[in-house]
Amino acid sequence: MPSKPNEAAQFTGESRDMVQGTLEMLILKTLALEPMHGYGVALRIEQISQGVFRVNPGSLLPALSRMERAARVKSEWRATENNRRAKYYLLTAKGRKALAAETEQWHRQIAAISHILEA
Amino acid sequence: MLWLTSLTNGLMSLFRKRQVEAELDEELDGYLEASVADKQSNGMAPEIARRAALAEVGSRNSVKHQVWSSRWESTLDGLLQDLRFSVRSLGKSPGFTAVALLSLALGIGGNTAIFTLIHQVMLRNLPVRDPGQLVTFDQSDGGGIIGGVVLGYHGMFPWYFARQFEIEPGPFQGIASYSSFSPMVSVRPPSNSGNSDSSTRAIMVPATLVSGNYFSLLGVQPMMGRAIGPSDNMTPGSGAVADISYQFWQQSLAADLAILGKTIMLNGTAFTVIGVMPRQFQGLKLETEPTALWTPITMQPVVLQHPSFLTPAYSPYFLHVFGRLSPQAATSHAAFEQSQQWLDQQIRAGIRATEGNAISAARKQEINRITVPLLSAQHGVSQMRSQYADSLRILMTVVVLVLLIACANLANFLLARAATRQRETATRLALGSSRARIVRQSLIETLLLAASGGALGLLIAFVATRALIAFLTQGASATTLSPAPDAAILLFTMAVALSTGVLFGLGPALVAARAGAATTLASNARTAQAGGGKSSRLWPKALVIAQIALSLLLLVGAGLFLRSLRNLQNQDFGFERTHLLVADFNAQLAGYKPSQASALHQRVIERLSALPGVRSAAVAGVPPVWPGNWTSNISLSGYTPAPKEDMNSTLNLISGQYFETVGTPILAGRPITPADSAGSFKVVVVSQSLADHFFPNGNPIGHWLTIGIDSVKGPWQIVGIAKDSKSNDPRAVDPVRMTYIPLAQIDPFLPAEKPANGSGAPVPPQENEDCYAGTLILRTTEDPSRSIADLRATIVLRSTLICRCCMSRPSKTRFPAS
Repeated sequence: MPSKPNEAAQFTGESRDMVQGTLEMLILKTLALEPMHGYGVALRIEQISQGVFRVNPGSLLPALSRMERAARVKSEWRATENNRRAKYYLLTAKGRKALAAETEQWHRQIAAISHILEA
Repeated sequence: MLWLTSLTNGLMSLFRKRQVEAELDEELDGYLEASVADKQSNGMAPEIARRAALAEVGSRNSVKHQVWSSRWESTLDGLLQDLRFSVRSLGKSPGFTAVALLSLALGIGGNTAIFTLIHQVMLRNLPVRDPGQLVTFDQSDGGGIIGGVVLGYHGMFPWYFARQFEIEPGPFQGIASYSSFSPMVSVRPPSNSGNSDSSTRAIMVPATLVSGNYFSLLGVQPMMGRAIGPSDNMTPGSGAVADISYQFWQQSLAADLAILGKTIMLNGTAFTVIGVMPRQFQGLKLETEPTALWTPITMQPVVLQHPSFLTPAYSPYFLHVFGRLSPQAATSHAAFEQSQQWLDQQIRAGIRATEGNAISAARKQEINRITVPLLSAQHGVSQMRSQYADSLRILMTVVVLVLLIACANLANFLLARAATRQRETATRLALGSSRARIVRQSLIETLLLAASGGALGLLIAFVATRALIAFLTQGASATTLSPAPDAAILLFTMAVALSTGVLFGLGPALVAARAGAATTLASNARTAQAGGGKSSRLWPKALVIAQIALSLLLLVGAGLFLRSLRNLQNQDFGFERTHLLVADFNAQLAGYKPSQASALHQRVIERLSALPGVRSAAVAGVPPVWPGNWTSNISLSGYTPAPKEDMNSTLNLISGQYFETVGTPILAGRPITPADSAGSFKVVVVSQSLADHFFPNGNPIGHWLTIGIDSVKGPWQIVGIAKDSKSNDPRAVDPVRMTYIPLAQIDPFLPAEKPANGSGAPVPPQENEDCYAGTLILRTTEDPSRSIADLRATIVLRSTLICRCCMSRPSKTRFPAS
């Protein structure tokens, strides 16, 4: 959920803008697979969405910082595969719970929206 | 617990801001590297990959700013930044800052000072259990000894009736009584040997008589020892015990921890100290000079130095009564009404009982309408409250107006400043600052001003309150009032300062932000008026109008006040106010018998008249102007009063030379002279208003006057008419009807009572305690203050008289007996 949607739009472009309020859920989902650093998260989201969503650091890093404050993720400095230091983000138990809750809510909303559109 | 982690993390990152930033930089670097590496592995040329990655990350600072502002501490950080900025910008205009601080400090200080007094005099609860349940029976702010009135008149009761209440409190949880005034008693503290003897110095302190249930009904536990209980208060003359106040214990007994069980001499009688009361407790009645000790009512003859008031034959009204309502009556109106009705029934039955069987039907109806209202004693009983509540309210209004003027003044100042700072505002807006941020910064600046002004105001308030208290208490050695601010005062000051800041800061801040938006950075936009439109032109005008209106109001008020004060000062008091020295003294406490008083007065007058610089000297019962004068009904030969006519006259007891000394002219007949002595013909002088009232067409001289008080009954023959003087209150408009009685002609023994049952045993004559003078008056040729030392020396060398001086100006000094 970019705090300033307009500014986020400058970097991503209109078509690749995230659905509002889904960024945190996508980050949680990505981190659920394995701990990752910032660029890893951005890359993974882009790959899995087959290039539809692109997350820039201007919205990714504030989101991660917020989630860390809310204790949904925690961070560690670790060595990367090419031996550089990077900040890795890990999902906490709380984050796992939040992911489950948000996924469920998302499905409910999607179903509801589909019903409305198909009516 | 999440908020706690968030709080600690936030605070940590605030203090390690640099490290947090470095980490963020490193993370961003890592991000960039990873991005470049990824793009290269996808086949991009290194240069192109790098450029693409940089484009993706965008403005580094913007990213950092966004991360930073996603956390709560960024708001705090911003506030701190604004605060620093405000301090700097206030420092840049020291003139403005000084003027603003000073006017705020005066405004807030004045408000705090007056509120401190209002809080202490009017708002503070009594430090007792459930003060909301306490009620007094009618106003209890007067005090004294009176007779010949109906029960509950001015909240005054005789002992037998108060005692009845104590035994049978009806719907109340209890009813207790205490002496309606706290007489000064002479106390000799115990010497080092543990017991009081004549080697220790006597001090004068106020004492209060209390019923046996006084402390238990208030719910006050002594700090140490025990409180006076019902067993101390069983029979008149018994119960020589005393509870002492914390202040008296500290100041006069050196906080002696072994004080319990020791003996103090009180008016020459040994009393055992049984307890020390807690620090905050000063009794139900809050007096300017708080009571130092409490003794049982049964000790009245010793404490009041008067024959017993506790006999069925003679029971004047000298007690105040209060009760504790049942919890129901304290909350429900109906139950309260029941308590009120019960009390009225008791009062009416009591009045019927005293007036006997021969009551006319009209009188019966009148009695049935008599009511003694129950009044809340939640804040205690305070004469100061009834005396000064209105003045304090007026003062509060005045200081609020002053503060409003200061606010308007500052708001205008700030508007002008906003105009000069318009370019700065426009620049900040252009650089991406939000309007809210500009308003916030501007508000922080004014709040900072207001808070500093408030802190300064507290200091001013402390000094001002001390001066005000000194004025209110007129130099009493101990007082219940304190200038030290407590939590309530601090809260009040803070609230005043903050609302002041918002009041004078918000308007200009909004105007500045709006004006800033409308202007460009063009150099021709110089004033707020140019860019701010209609509203910004309206603001300063409105403020100036408000300021002038309020100032005018205050000026007119102050002018009227000064005028009244001058009129009061320059009015005709009926005596000469310059070169007059007045001193209190008390021969009774020094051990003189009534039969010795007359000779003592004579000696004192002779010695004082012989002092250099003294033109004449006299003694009197009370000074020429005194609020606590004796008053009595009188009857006059040759005058038949109309039914219910007010036959009261104010009395003063005087020596020869009195009129000459105070400078009150005799209009007809002759004054009282030293020749009017015990052996000669009994004479009085009356005031002009008394003569005019009762003898509008004739000459009162030669008529006989009888007074309703046994000890000075008379009959007296009127020999002179004195000019009216302001006897009770300098502000009173109506002249006081005065009767001046020669002290020397008052019989030192009371008229013998006729044996009631005719058994024939002669009753020994009782001494008349009403023949002492309480005041020395000197007419000096020079500044009266020069005679003070001589006067003291004369009195002290001669005797152990207790004496305190005051000049015709209200500067009092105290002078304990040696």
